[in-house]
Amino acid sequence: MLKRPAALIASLGVIAGLALASPASAQERTIKITGFGAKSGVVRVFGINSEAAMKAAAEEINKAGGVTLGDGSKAKITVEFLDDRCNAEEGISVIRRIASSDAFVAVGPTCSNVAESLFGILQKKVGDASDTGLQFPIIADVAAKGGLAKISEWAFRNVPSEFEMYKSLFAWVKAQHPELKTIYGGVEKDFAHSNATYGVIKAQAEANGLQVLGTSEWLLADTTFSTQVREMKRANADIVAISAHPFTTCGLLKEMQRQGVKPKLLIGLTSSSSIETLQGCAEQAEGIIIPTSFAPVTPAAIKAAEQVAKFGGSADLHSAAAYEIMFILKDVIEAQKIMAKPNTVAADREKMRAGLAALKETNGLLGKIGRTADREAIKPFLYVHALRGSWQVLYKPSS
Amino acid sequence: MDLLDFIDIVQTIADGVLFGATYAILGIGFTLIFGVMHKINLSYAAASIGAAYASLLILAGIKAPALLVFALAAVAGGVIGGIVYLVAFHFIPLANPLATLMSTVGLLLLIDEIIVHATAGVPLAYPALFSSVIVPAGPFNLRGDLMFVFGLGCVCMVLLLLLLYRTRLGLATRAVSQQPTAAQLCGIGLTRVNVLTFVVTGVLGGVAGAMTGAAIGMLSPLLSLPLTVKGLIVTVIGGLGSIPGAIIAGLLVGGLENLFQFFRGVSERDFYVMLLLFAFLVFRPGGMFAPDQGHD
Repeated sequence: MLKRPAALIASLGVIAGLALASPASAQERTIKITGFGAKSGVVRVFGINSEAAMKAAAEEINKAGGVTLGDGSKAKITVEFLDDRCNAEEGISVIRRIASSDAFVAVGPTCSNVAESLFGILQKKVGDASDTGLQFPIIADVAAKGGLAKISEWAFRNVPSEFEMYKSLFAWVKAQHPELKTIYGGVEKDFAHSNATYGVIKAQAEANGLQVLGTSEWLLADTTFSTQVREMKRANADIVAISAHPFTTCGLLKEMQRQGVKPKLLIGLTSSSSIETLQGCAEQAEGIIIPTSFAPVTPAAIKAAEQVAKFGGSADLHSAAAYEIMFILKDVIEAQKIMAKPNTVAADREKMRAGLAALKETNGLLGKIGRTADREAIKPFLYVHALRGSWQVLYKPSS
Repeated sequence: MDLLDFIDIVQTIADGVLFGATYAILGIGFTLIFGVMHKINLSYAAASIGAAYASLLILAGIKAPALLVFALAAVAGGVIGGIVYLVAFHFIPLANPLATLMSTVGLLLLIDEIIVHATAGVPLAYPALFSSVIVPAGPFNLRGDLMFVFGLGCVCMVLLLLLLYRTRLGLATRAVSQQPTAAQLCGIGLTRVNVLTFVVTGVLGGVAGAMTGAAIGMLSPLLSLPLTVKGLIVTVIGGLGSIPGAIIAGLLVGGLENLFQFFRGVSERDFYVMLLLFAFLVFRPGGMFAPDQGHD
């Protein structure tokens, strides 16, 4: 006798629970933002940092209530990060996978060679019916080679302009150190970013009246630098500029120390203003000046650095860009009234592209970020130098 | 050519020869495994770098003296060597030469990826001994750390030769190398000798990895592939299976590599090293010191 009423009450309880729970869960929507980049191989750290930065930003957004969708509902953001192995084919495969889902935007990639290839498979001009390229907006956080967003109107970037950074840096060097007349360069010849940036460094040095005495070259995986440093020693230039990533930058700096090469000024590549350089050769890197678009110098940047660290990453000029992108996407989702529903995917992608293209200015961790007509960013930057094992701000051009 | 150029050339060769000691140790490892098992272990250089990384990771947070780090790298090398044998050789049909070749390629990639995942691919500073010592020799300067690497390399080579020619294990190893069936009939355990060979070459590899890290001052997963290629070149030029050949070829390749770079630049350097390898394969396929083929 007792069993039946108990079962009835239990059933009613379950039904009531379901009835009460349904509206609530309908309101609790989530949208997934997919990032992609290198999470294997020697550039794995870039992917780790970008993923951590995206997750940290998503947590911040979610804590503040999430993002408001086109139908007025609130949604929380989740982040998924896929590995493209810094390989162009893998990158294309990853982006096709993302585009075949409900995603309306993707953030990435790490490597310029991947960005160059996969921007190439996007539709070049919006609305061109004869172009069957992929119609999917991508915003890059790390890929640094100049002018990549020009490839497609669906491609966007939030990376700093190295041209502007080194132009400003060499003008500053000219003003602050007029006694320095000569420069000697060193470049990691087989790495696209280092090689392209060395072209910028050399051109800006010459434009500011410095005489380039020569260039030493090496490869990304080289282990000895004695020949290159001897060439450098013979040139005896006032300034040495090294366009290389931390592994060979440190190898070269150690060899310079061994051979007693002490230039009056040392300039480095943007990507070397990272913790890896200090882990590898803090003593030898002492004094090296590098322009960067991130340093924990504003309250927002300090908070971002702490948040990124919580997610197992490190905030640097690349991952900071990923962090900023998440807030840019939130603003565009809200401004464009993106619905984020399975039946609005194509329209949401159009809206996202249009929203990103319409941006004239966005908020950044160091201040306002300008947007150009060719979908690139004009980011504030500063110069840092290695001082007693840490990166310290040397000069802020905008101040 | 002026005097400065001449001094630069001699200095360049000297630096290369000293650094070549690390190639020589790697070459010995490749050649010893080939000598005993007639198989190429392509994961050897990656395992060596893995051992050097292991020494750093085990001692993470402890400011250990460089010698302790090197010793730990040697021990880790021995352990990894044993694991490599078990994974890539013991359960693979040895009659099929391609099977073990491919299994070691797989292991090379696996070890590389393990290093990348353990360190996020970030280069790590590696301790060195005598890194600030520069020994002046007339107009030339010899790096103290490279001289230490060279010296330690020589000690390792002597110890290895003593092991091979003055111990029962060495006798068994040479017997297995020359006539495995006859050696087995004499009561020598093939598996035991093979495992010990991998452990010994692993220890040597650990030393090579540590010396490479010490010579550069850093470790990076980027090192595995170039060192694998260098180790193979040294083995071919020295003569597959010849230990003295590997030693001389290691030093030769180190010196020539620097010389090619001096004259032709970094973009052509490896081209000439490969040409040298090609020349040996065509005109002297047995290498400089091809060993006796054994007696039937």
